[in-house]
Amino acid sequence: MVQERQTYGLIRRKGAWSWLDVRGRRLGAWAFALNRLTGLGLVLYLVIHLLVLSLLTQGESRWNDFIALAKSPAFLFLDVVLFFGLLFHGLNGIRVALVGMGLGVERHKTLFWVLMTIGAVLLLLSAWKVFSSPAT
Amino acid sequence: MERGQQGTRGGWLWLLQALSGLLLVLLLALHIVANHFIVEGGLRTYQDVVAYLSNPLVFVLEVLFLLTVTLHAGLGVRSVLLDLGLSPTAERRVNLVLTLLGIVAVAYGVWLSLMIQGRA
Repeated sequence: MVQERQTYGLIRRKGAWSWLDVRGRRLGAWAFALNRLTGLGLVLYLVIHLLVLSLLTQGESRWNDFIALAKSPAFLFLDVVLFFGLLFHGLNGIRVALVGMGLGVERHKTLFWVLMTIGAVLLLLSAWKVFSSPAT
Repeated sequence: MERGQQGTRGGWLWLLQALSGLLLVLLLALHIVANHFIVEGGLRTYQDVVAYLSNPLVFVLEVLFLLTVTLHAGLGVRSVLLDLGLSPTAERRVNLVLTLLGIVAVAYGVWLSLMIQGRA
């Protein structure tokens, strides 16, 4: 495990936030930093999402008002940002899980780019889906 | 590859994080398709939410999703915090606080689901 840190230069560049400093680093360090940033963003989203659902206890009109707000263009754009986070974190996570379990270690870069290509296609499809929903 | 945790417990917690993550790919895909993509307009109306959550299979799957995502989020936040280089005392506090937050999140979600079911 410690060897992996050396791979990313975290030993040379010590400090609590060094994982975020990707200057001059290899692909894996970028993936690691972006995985954490999207992960933290998704935790924030999860908390907001759970809190918003409590509107359901306040009756029908409160919920239906929220639905109207959630269909505004700004919210739809945020949905696409959310999809970016989910797709990057989920697809990169598949690679991290597989490689960490010893699967596909030699081909982890290929695996990364295949997954990212799938992610780009799914992001475009989800953006289309989000913006093409009827605005009722 | 990118095992964040160090120490003796790091190994199995890492595995738990990886396995919960893989399970989440399936549960989240299901959650998004079922709650948004197959729904006219992308969001269920109040009455539709009540009817949807009253399906026992839906209830079980959504609670399983909540349990898995809470576990995964908690372990993830723990990794980030532990990389700040915490003292053993601070690490124990992080573990305690995150465990409590996780229990609160799951209890809240189950309570909310039951409340909504009760509106049927």
